Amino acid sequence: MKRYSRELTVAIALSALLVWLAIFAPHFFQPQPLLARLTAQVPVLVLTIGMSVVIISRQIDISVGSQFGVCAVVAGLTSAAGAPLSLALIAATLTGTAMGALNGFLVAWLGLPSIVVSLATMVTWAEVLRLFQQGRFINLPAGVQWFGFSQFVGQASLLFFALGLLGAMAYFLKNRTGGRHFYAVGSDSEAARLAGINPKGVTMLSFVLMGTLTGLAAFCNMVQSPQVDPKCGVGLEMKAIAAAVVGGIAVTGGRGGLWGAFFGLLLLATINPALTYMHIDAYWEKAIQGLVILLAVIADGLRTKRSAA
Amino acid sequence: MKRSQFIPALLALPFTLLMSCEKSSAPVGADHPKAAKKLTIAFLPKSKGNSYFIACEKGAREAVQELGAELLFDGPTNTDPAKQNEIVENWMTLGVDVIAVACENREGIAGPLKRAQEKGIKIVTFDSDTTPDARSFFVNQATPQGIGEALMDEAARLCAEEGEFAIITATLTAANMNEWRKFIEARLAERYPKMKLIDTKPCDDQKDKAQAETTNLISANPNLKCIMAICSPAVPGAAEAVKQAGKAGIVKVVGLGLPSENKAYLKDGVTQSVILWRVADLGYLTIQAAYAVGTGALEVGSKSIHAGKLGEIQIDGTSIILGKPFVFTKDNVDQFDF
Repeated sequence: MKRYSRELTVAIALSALLVWLAIFAPHFFQPQPLLARLTAQVPVLVLTIGMSVVIISRQIDISVGSQFGVCAVVAGLTSAAGAPLSLALIAATLTGTAMGALNGFLVAWLGLPSIVVSLATMVTWAEVLRLFQQGRFINLPAGVQWFGFSQFVGQASLLFFALGLLGAMAYFLKNRTGGRHFYAVGSDSEAARLAGINPKGVTMLSFVLMGTLTGLAAFCNMVQSPQVDPKCGVGLEMKAIAAAVVGGIAVTGGRGGLWGAFFGLLLLATINPALTYMHIDAYWEKAIQGLVILLAVIADGLRTKRSAA
Repeated sequence: MKRSQFIPALLALPFTLLMSCEKSSAPVGADHPKAAKKLTIAFLPKSKGNSYFIACEKGAREAVQELGAELLFDGPTNTDPAKQNEIVENWMTLGVDVIAVACENREGIAGPLKRAQEKGIKIVTFDSDTTPDARSFFVNQATPQGIGEALMDEAARLCAEEGEFAIITATLTAANMNEWRKFIEARLAERYPKMKLIDTKPCDDQKDKAQAETTNLISANPNLKCIMAICSPAVPGAAEAVKQAGKAGIVKVVGLGLPSENKAYLKDGVTQSVILWRVADLGYLTIQAAYAVGTGALEVGSKSIHAGKLGEIQIDGTSIILGKPFVFTKDNVDQFDF
């Protein structure tokens, strides 16, 4: 029970918010906007899965927003050139994987701190994208949005896919040896090495996985719209990190799970619409989100202190 | 001299005389040194590959043809302030008469422009200004008042001057947009008592966030009649939300943006009006102003300029204002490609 205390706290906070909305703003649960809101979170969820693995391994990747933008433009240009969707998917994931591998190489093998490495790649990719695309939208051909199916089918399949991925990754991390390696390296890299795990390889893998998932997330974003906005990735790294942290994944590595991150994401993603439905001024949005993150970090700090004592 | 060489030499004689004439007369006729020669106007966009500036160039070419001037068109391939400075330096060496520039870096380009002015080259800016002491005139595409009033008038027209509307802006702190919002709200208070601004949401200059905000606004406010998107990524974002909600035509979309990014939504009847200036006219007016400055017809203190097909254009201080913004609709959007 204690092991899942954070997941529980976040789930309770989310439920409380939803109950409050059900009473005061029942419009919130209208099916169409609800489905649209959930589908819009699919790319963020895919990123959050990758970010959780990176943070569990005691690293951080703040370049994913920029990577996401690059992957989105690659996927968009591939589709705009008339290539089939499968090719756009491959192009986006390969691009993401390559960018993730670069981060992983610099962190794992050159031993550079991940915050500095990913800060550098964040700026680099953002500038490359700005120079290359100049903020121009890419108009996509018909048949890209919702994979060419109806809006409902497209939304449902994206949600299905994302939840499937979440379930599979959550199971893998908790129950498979390969998944436990991320925790082992994140809690104590030296102990993990003595236990026969290759910490460099695991660190590398976490960044490569992050990159691949970023490409996948960018693709999931592209198929929701008839256009690609090259600025679509700006700020996404913070959303993914915030979801993971609020969901109880310790920034000190080695602790937390994907379901917590999932609830963290839902909680944070509900705050903004809740303000609109409650007719509260938009000025409060970022302040409230910041407060929630702060509370989560404080809770983390208290827990660490208690377990150390 | 052989006969075969003599005839071409004889033919060349008048030209040689003419050229030497022009040379020797230059110091004498210092009042109108360029009257005999075509005026050379150098036109420097922020980036030459950008469809916005390509549309500008189209208008500029039309104007030089009418005026009989020479046009040099060059710019960075992608926005690059250092490259802009380099091009200005090159044109100084080349000795052009007027430079018309859309400045990427307001302060950064002022130095080279001032040096060009010292060499007798006249400077006109357009689209984005430099510091006022580094140019004679700024050709301004639109004033905040013009933009604010056009947006509010268009929203009112679409709603038959009655009902609720909401604004999507870039950020709540963006200075230019807050200026527009001020004029939108002033116009609303002054002209449209039956309309009500119910909410203003920031979209962080991102299409996806604009879409999310619009989705929420529509569902949270069942009486909402119009979304006014005042930053360019917000216009297609708001339109996509309206389309997905199945409210096309019920919730109107009006915004400030590029026609090319909104063409499909205009055609589908999701977005009703996109407001922007006529970009080709901006290029046209810039050349008209540059020519008038170059010939000395336009000087600081002039109250208006006669700009060919655009007619009489007002000057406010050293700002030449293109005029009222233009409304793109499904009927005219095909004529524009920026």
